[in-house]
Amino acid sequence: MTFTPEQARRDIPILNRVLPNGRNLVYLDNAATTQKPQQVISAISNYYETTNSNVHRAVHTLAGEATDAYEGARSKIAEWFGIGDGYLIFTAGTTEAINLAAYAWGRHNLVAGDVVVLTEMEHHSDIVPWQMLAQEREIEIRWVPLQVETSSLDMEVFAASMEGAKLVGCIHTSNVLGVRNPVEEVIRLAHSAGARVILDAAQAAPHDRLNIAESGADMVAVSAHKMCGPTGIGALMVNAETFAEMQPFIGGGDMIREVFLDHSTYQEGVHRFEAGTPKIAEAIGWGAAIDWLAQWDIAEIHSHALGLARHTAAGLREIEGMRVFGDHGDGDGAVVSFIHDKLHSEDMAHMLDAHGIAVRTGHHCAQPLLRKLGLTSTNRVSFYLYNTMAEADFFLATVRDLVARFT
Amino acid sequence: MYEAGSWPIRLQQIIDEFSGVDDSMERIEMLFEYAREIDELPMSEWCDDTKVHGCQSEAHVLPMQNDDGTFHLMGASDAKLVQGLMAITAIALEGLAPSEVAIFSSDYASEMGLMNALTPSRANGFRNMFRKVVQAAQEMGE
Repeated sequence: MTFTPEQARRDIPILNRVLPNGRNLVYLDNAATTQKPQQVISAISNYYETTNSNVHRAVHTLAGEATDAYEGARSKIAEWFGIGDGYLIFTAGTTEAINLAAYAWGRHNLVAGDVVVLTEMEHHSDIVPWQMLAQEREIEIRWVPLQVETSSLDMEVFAASMEGAKLVGCIHTSNVLGVRNPVEEVIRLAHSAGARVILDAAQAAPHDRLNIAESGADMVAVSAHKMCGPTGIGALMVNAETFAEMQPFIGGGDMIREVFLDHSTYQEGVHRFEAGTPKIAEAIGWGAAIDWLAQWDIAEIHSHALGLARHTAAGLREIEGMRVFGDHGDGDGAVVSFIHDKLHSEDMAHMLDAHGIAVRTGHHCAQPLLRKLGLTSTNRVSFYLYNTMAEADFFLATVRDLVARFT
Repeated sequence: MYEAGSWPIRLQQIIDEFSGVDDSMERIEMLFEYAREIDELPMSEWCDDTKVHGCQSEAHVLPMQNDDGTFHLMGASDAKLVQGLMAITAIALEGLAPSEVAIFSSDYASEMGLMNALTPSRANGFRNMFRKVVQAAQEMGE
């Protein structure tokens, strides 16, 4: 089906919301979370209305149906991202996925003196788990600098940092700058040094099917809620070699095969990493989100959202005193961070909210990156398939008006 | 004790002024105006002791006493809305005895309709600011 944002909007009830101040919602905070189509909402409520049961164990009808729906969702999501369903571990989201990597892979494969290479562009979720492990294990963390002028990673330092590296963690697409990093080059560098790679693809997944097996990435972390799926679910997708090196991290429930008083044995496959009753309704909802997005060509969705970001960045740059980040190249995310030199980001966000416009404000969970930019906070607008040029223009006109009125 | 129904006159006037305005942009403009009225704490005096924690913006307060021993609040923030709220607090408390400030109710912000307009992090920042001011007043009385 040919993509238009109007078609997508028709399916998303919240976009008709009138806010308490009488304004229509203009939702431009998609990098934080996306809105949900009725198809996803209905899939979740239908599951609870007709199928709700625990999965995998019981032999009754509902249990069978719920298990089929849950595992069916896994297969669908894995296929979407180009990886076998035996290598998609459901987690609570990207953050938990990276923590799972740190505990299930890192704790069993990294020892004192080993090197982990990270970048200054990382989200806190791809920093803190490795810092915690580094403190415990005396692992060295090397940092690849962000080059402020070009909003890019210093690839020469990246290459030079690889000696002795066991793991490289890299954000696929920056949640602050929108920059898509040269992940193909990162994977090549890491593999030639014998290191594994984990990609934080939270911002990339809504715009790119990732082709994980083909890309060669060893571990990829994503969240459902950034691609019109529900909150509370995401995945760590790993290749076979890395999977074989992982050990269970959380014990109990769904992950065990047999428990004795003196020891336990674990399930084979992904279930050994999914302890406790899994995120059944959430997985089904995520599958419905994939079905919904799959109506269109993801490249068209990306191109539409990126077009809005480019238009917005160009419009903001025309405003005196405005600093706008990122250059919005072809593969980049549809994210525009900006800051005005006389209007504090929080004041700006508050005043935009008074016009019904939802934007993000703050450090975007990337304090090292912000510090490198010499800032503590920016405003950020981020677009997705259901945003329109009219919304981008309304946002720009509002910002122009606020700057004129308050500076 | 100063609380709902028995605010100092100047504060009651400000509460009435805000309560009469429904338009959120107009309220924001009013807060921007009030931001100018505070005895501004120069940035050179911002330090850990003056910092209000829990704010996304930089917010600093310096509670002190006038020559006659009454309460006075200096403050500043890089966010004007925060400074506006701080300024209203300073106006409300100006000239009271520290012992009166120590038991002053923070309900005026909700009565002005400002608390529900604030994001939870900002509302939390306001509470932290108010607590810091009240605590300083308590210490003045000791």
